[in-house]
Amino acid sequence: MTDAATQIKDTITNNDVVLFMKGTKEMPQCGFSSRVAGVLNYMGVTFSDVNVLADEAVRQGIKDFSDWPTIPQLYVKGEFVGGCDIITEMTLSGELDTLFDQNGVSYDKDAADKIRQANG
Amino acid sequence: MTKTQEIETKLRKQFAPYQLSVVDDSESHRGHGGFREGQSTHFNVLIRSEAFAGQSRIARHRAIHAALGAELIASIHALALDVSD
Repeated sequence: MTDAATQIKDTITNNDVVLFMKGTKEMPQCGFSSRVAGVLNYMGVTFSDVNVLADEAVRQGIKDFSDWPTIPQLYVKGEFVGGCDIITEMTLSGELDTLFDQNGVSYDKDAADKIRQANG
Repeated sequence: MTKTQEIETKLRKQFAPYQLSVVDDSESHRGHGGFREGQSTHFNVLIRSEAFAGQSRIARHRAIHAALGAELIASIHALALDVSD
């Protein structure tokens, strides 16, 4: 594996929820990254953010690692979940709740319901 | 051929969709990251095809990425996908 791939593997192995994004969860640099970070923040999910803009090797490395050409990318328990469109769909359908439930990731169910009510 | 037409052509050929909409949404991202004056950078794609039946969300998106090709995807900033069967 390349250094970037090793680094990515370590990150997703050692953290339950990881968001590879442009910018940080406090200051996203792209609307799509911002949307996913916003959902996770609102749902009270503890997650690690990796700013791909801070490291060109990781920016390209995560695309190769996941075989996925776009950012953001969400990993839960080492498994790739999807990008912005998929996370949005899964949030609204409740599938994201189920995924978190199955993986023992704590989140605020009421907040998730509020997102769905506001976008129903 | 515009980039919009290129995307449409590739998706029609690969998936024979019964519904397809490719919208160049670049202008609405003016002032935001990835906007390039005069270039097509942001696309919204809605596609409905029986080819996606039984596939996971990730598999559907990967199939679209493959159909469009790495070169085209690398040439744009954002590709929003709404995929269903």
